[in-house]
Amino acid sequence: MSAPESKPLAHPVRVKIVLAVLAAALTVAGGVPLFKHRHFGTPFVAGPGVTKVIKLSDYSPGLKGRFVDADVFVMEGAEPGGKALIMANTHANEPAGYLAVKILIENAVVQKGTLYIIPTINVSASRNTKAGDGYPLYYDIPTDWGRVRFRMGTRDASPLESWPDPDVYIHYPDKQLLSYLDLRNTNRTWPGRPNGPMMERVTYAAMELMRKEKIDLAFDFHGAETMFPVTNCIVAPQKSAKFATLASMMVKAMEGFDSHVEPSPQNFRGLSHREIGDFSNTLPFLLEAPIPFLDQPTGPKTVKLLLDGKDPFLLSLAKKKKLFVSYDANGWPMDKRVGQHMSTTLEIIRQFSKKTPDRAIRLSGAPKYADLVRDGVGKYFHDPAKAEPGRIHYE
Amino acid sequence: MTLQIGVLLLLMVAAYAVASLKKLSVELSILAAAVAGGLGGAFLKTPPLGELPRHLVEGMFPYLDVMLVFSTATFFMALVSESGGVNYVVRGAIKLFYNVRVVALLVLMIIILIPGALTGAGSVSILVVGAPVALALKALGIPERKTAAILFIVAGLAAAAPPVNIWAMILCAGTAIPYVGFTYTLGIPVLILGTFTVLWLGLKKEGGMDKAAALAALPPVPPGMKGWRVLVPFVVFFGMVIANRTWPFATPIFGLPLEFSAAAFTAWLVSPRKPDVLKLALNTMKRLLPLLATMIVVGMLQQIMTATGVRGMISYAVISIPLVLLFIGLAVIIPVSEGVLTYGAAAILGIPLIWFFDSIGLHATVAIAGLSILWPLGDGLPPTALIGRLSVMVSDYKGTYWSFLRQTWVPWLVITITSILMVVYSAKLSFLVKWSM
Repeated sequence: MSAPESKPLAHPVRVKIVLAVLAAALTVAGGVPLFKHRHFGTPFVAGPGVTKVIKLSDYSPGLKGRFVDADVFVMEGAEPGGKALIMANTHANEPAGYLAVKILIENAVVQKGTLYIIPTINVSASRNTKAGDGYPLYYDIPTDWGRVRFRMGTRDASPLESWPDPDVYIHYPDKQLLSYLDLRNTNRTWPGRPNGPMMERVTYAAMELMRKEKIDLAFDFHGAETMFPVTNCIVAPQKSAKFATLASMMVKAMEGFDSHVEPSPQNFRGLSHREIGDFSNTLPFLLEAPIPFLDQPTGPKTVKLLLDGKDPFLLSLAKKKKLFVSYDANGWPMDKRVGQHMSTTLEIIRQFSKKTPDRAIRLSGAPKYADLVRDGVGKYFHDPAKAEPGRIHYE
Repeated sequence: MTLQIGVLLLLMVAAYAVASLKKLSVELSILAAAVAGGLGGAFLKTPPLGELPRHLVEGMFPYLDVMLVFSTATFFMALVSESGGVNYVVRGAIKLFYNVRVVALLVLMIIILIPGALTGAGSVSILVVGAPVALALKALGIPERKTAAILFIVAGLAAAAPPVNIWAMILCAGTAIPYVGFTYTLGIPVLILGTFTVLWLGLKKEGGMDKAAALAALPPVPPGMKGWRVLVPFVVFFGMVIANRTWPFATPIFGLPLEFSAAAFTAWLVSPRKPDVLKLALNTMKRLLPLLATMIVVGMLQQIMTATGVRGMISYAVISIPLVLLFIGLAVIIPVSEGVLTYGAAAILGIPLIWFFDSIGLHATVAIAGLSILWPLGDGLPPTALIGRLSVMVSDYKGTYWSFLRQTWVPWLVITITSILMVVYSAKLSFLVKWSM
């Protein structure tokens, strides 16, 4: 293992200078795209249903002025009713939920009750990349009026917002030992603390929003590998299981796609579907749509794979029955995944509204699974060039 | 797609081979493989040529924190050593335990196990206690080659030992399995395998020295050096680690680099002679440079392997192996993956493997424990060989790296068989998980 003997350099200082210049040039050429990625914003047009845009820090001053403070789009109906919170980009490398909430924000109108939408609950992770993973920095969605560009984020917040890592993350308040990386994962830091590590502050602020606004339903949008047993499903604790089961049956019967119910494990702490249920009166639901891009045994991590979900290795593994979802040559396109999130959410809201009419939530304008599969996601994005300046928010 | 990715893999292997033949260092050879893979991939736009600099730069960073830990920990131990603390401890150990060899070996084993078990990093064991333990082992009449072998194997077991096992934590995080139930599942095999290793490699006294001669052969202790002067910096280090573990919600997160820096500052404060800190820091970094460079280029290689699909194809190949061959193949696949990817291997191969094992009725927690005892062996394999190289470095072994590695073969084999049996019979061993809960 020791380095082989080599001849001394003829001009060591000159060689060192040349190497230093080359290294600096590579660092600039490689670093500038990462800097631009961190500061890139996608325009979200506040549609007719958006009544105000507030900040997560309005519920917990510990986040005020921090890079991680997130926008909360509020959509209030004319008639009072129940309240739901929808969160996306908990893991910013699982973008179907993010696209789904953009469609809701730009198109939906609430008639009864209130919707709170946080497009990016982990802002830091959405502006971070995971070194070693080789993901693309952006992906584009085609529309009738051009392409919309989105940042591809990652699972964990950046060390720029949460550093140093501990040698082990001790979950608050349960003291369960979790991976050191989970300190930067907002699906392990629930229910959080007001002055804890940065991601615990983020989840605490969201908990405060749920407690203060008396939120009835909370949705956390995710994507999961096709080789992961907990995929293509609704994860729900016991208290939410009734609505999850009804919705699962309805989307299967009426809209033709599977989304089975998985119980939220009681001894695995820090997850939104566990802690929101245990630390508030809100009924939590975590929605998982398959995302082949995240599977380990795939070809190159390209934008095409992210959007169409087609991969020959996964196809081969599907034939060997090593995947947990049905998978064929059509892959698992983004439109389908966004459609699953949208329809499952709307169905859970509908079921809840039926059972508790005084807390009902009624909304219109949101496309469903069949619409999104037929038209494509881009069809429902609004052109920011045609929007009033005050209605554009860069997420 | 398989063909084009296969060609890229061959291109990377060829670039590594050519660079090695041209007598470039291991680090530059890995860099050549990464750049060749990236340029080859650019023909197929995986990744596009314009994105190649970003991939190379981004790939430099997966191990930044680990590099900080290595740097600060080595500097801390260099300060303790310069102040005469290491010599003081070794003399003490020889005086107390020279005549009770088994006890001496077991005590030294526990001393190596503790830092790695607490931090999850075998390298921390080597960097914190490796040098004094190596001197003590040598004074017990164990040759340097075997000393390095003991350090390497036991430090690897320390990394796997509870409460912190980073491979298991990465696997649990990636497979949504709680990181609970590992105390006995990992602790019992680690203690048995550690005991076997130190006795197999160390029981036979090969040097001719008696106690007086062993003490005389050790370097002198500088005037003024006392037990408390050695102890206090370690109390500061372990105090910070344990405080965070005991009062997690009342203690700030220090992080290992700061914990080692605080311990280093304390060591300097209490040292009877004040070493030249700047000179020592420069020497430490010069010593560590090849190791740090390896970690940077391995990160770049990983990134290029992912962007080109090579990493995915390897993962696919492993999962596609028939079950019996897969169990046997674990003996090679797991350590080699660690040698190339270090902790990244747990995510790339481990996560799909655990999902697969779970789906065929094996017990996921025990299987994770089994694999995570096997992974540290890979820290002795090139190109990274992180713990192996550190073990050779601190034990001052001057022979070839391979002669050191050959010395480990019996414990290596026993650990491998134990790990594979733990995976295969994981369902029957699930009582260990219940005991641990």
